[in-house]
Amino acid sequence: MEPFEPVIIAFVCNWCTYTAADLAGTSRLSYPTNIRLIRVMCTGMVDPQYVIKAFLEGADGVLISGCHPGDCHYINGNYKARRRIKLLKEILPRFGIEKDRLRLTWIGASDGIEFAEIMTQINDQIIEMGPSQTRLNKAI
Amino acid sequence: MMTKIEREDNSSAKGLQQFFKQLLEMQEIDALFLPVRLNASTSIMPSLVTDPAQLENAVPLSPSFPLNSARMVSRLSYKASGRKTAVLLRPCETRAFIELIKLKQGSRQELILIGMDCPKALTSSDYAAYAKQAPLADDAYIETVFSDNNDTLNGFEFSSACNTCEHPFPVNTDINILLHGVDLSDGMVVTAETEAGQQVLGRLNLPEATAPARREERIQQIKEGNSTANTAMIEDITDRTDSIVKLNAFFDRCINCYNCRNMCPVCYCKECVFNTDVFHHQPVQYHQWAEKKGSIKLPTDTTFYHLTRMAHMSHACVGCGQCSNACPSDINVFQLFKSVARLTQAAFEYSPGTDENESPPLSVFYEREFENTVGIAREE
Ligand code: SF4
Ligand code: SF4
Ligand code: FES
Repeated sequence: MEPFEPVIIAFVCNWCTYTAADLAGTSRLSYPTNIRLIRVMCTGMVDPQYVIKAFLEGADGVLISGCHPGDCHYINGNYKARRRIKLLKEILPRFGIEKDRLRLTWIGASDGIEFAEIMTQINDQIIEMGPSQTRLNKAI
Repeated sequence: MMTKIEREDNSSAKGLQQFFKQLLEMQEIDALFLPVRLNASTSIMPSLVTDPAQLENAVPLSPSFPLNSARMVSRLSYKASGRKTAVLLRPCETRAFIELIKLKQGSRQELILIGMDCPKALTSSDYAAYAKQAPLADDAYIETVFSDNNDTLNGFEFSSACNTCEHPFPVNTDINILLHGVDLSDGMVVTAETEAGQQVLGRLNLPEATAPARREERIQQIKEGNSTANTAMIEDITDRTDSIVKLNAFFDRCINCYNCRNMCPVCYCKECVFNTDVFHHQPVQYHQWAEKKGSIKLPTDTTFYHLTRMAHMSHACVGCGQCSNACPSDINVFQLFKSVARLTQAAFEYSPGTDENESPPLSVFYEREFENTVGIAREE
């Protein structure tokens, strides 16, 4: 059997986590290519529907990552994101999409090493969990 | 303040009409908003009445519940009209209206909110059948629904929203009409709950009443019965929709008409994202989906729409059942949404419509909260 290569969609904030990803790249650190970054201006602009869409289209995991509390460039976008993720972590498991497939992290602009480590860990976790039901059933 | 609405010719229905007539004749009240039986028909619709003579068709208590009036009261109050309106609402309508006030889509500034012990409801299709086949006279209905034995109505089941309702008693109102555990032969009880209510009620010079002896007992019984039914309903619907595949099956007849959204009193967006260009897909997009999966059902985005709606509004769901009522495909949307609402409302310890000063969960945030939502520790 072919090894399971998950698809993980990551919505990353331009000012912190995306910059950290850039730094990881220029520092020649590698992280799993299964993780597909989508750059957003702030985690506060990630509407729950983006996450829902990603899962319905077959993503095995979704990550939202932005600035640490107090560092959001729009002051409180990350706090809003945290409430929305809390909300989704109630709704999605109700339909069998496990809580751990949805992740929220704070990774600062200078944390290139941490970025690469966390991406690797998330990828390992999702591989351990196996493919999502939506990937298996191609349900939209 | 607790006073009595006396019967008129031995009729509670007429006594109520008389009460509303007196209200409308007051200098301070310009209009009444309440259910009215439309001329020469069985339809009872919420109406704005300014002529006391027209109140003879008013039916304050009936099993007809064609829509949640919170949206209509929002239309009447989102801006000042220079008129004072007394508004009669079911408890779930009041709760939804309070949610709209929080969102600045309504105001109680020019309103007197009148609440009542809920007279329950049939679904709209059952109501049409009941009105045709075997309608009770208005008085017989009141006697039946406020008796101890009110589980069915001439063989019709009440709406599952009513049978599972955990708050069928008025809150957040200025004036309340109490009917459970009241000896109706001796009239109904009406109370003032706010200063505004007190002012209005005081002027009517109604006889004093004593607290209905058995009301607390009845409230307890109804709460327990409905809460047991609610738990059973939620277990059942959760079981039937606990995966995305099952959820797709649950909605497989959905035609994306969005009636459920349009009739939901707390679906508050001015423009729904599902009506925007985002969902006006290119023809090639449909082909690409079909090619990826071998086939694709149209209209698309059905499950996506329902999950997104849950994320946007389930914290505010008042459990009125109008989404099911509005569905032309006979999908029990209400049961599903109520089961999700229970989770999201518990997560934010939010109880929609019970406290006007409680902010909707997605409109506030604090620095230190939900910290275990962040990070990558394994939970399961
Ligand atoms: S989702 Fe359905 S039950 Fe809940 S408030 Fe909206 S219409 Fe009423
Ligand atoms: S009312 Fe029924 S058919 Fe229309 S969108 Fe809602 S669930 Fe689908
Ligand atoms: S700017 Fe980075 S989370 Fe808001």
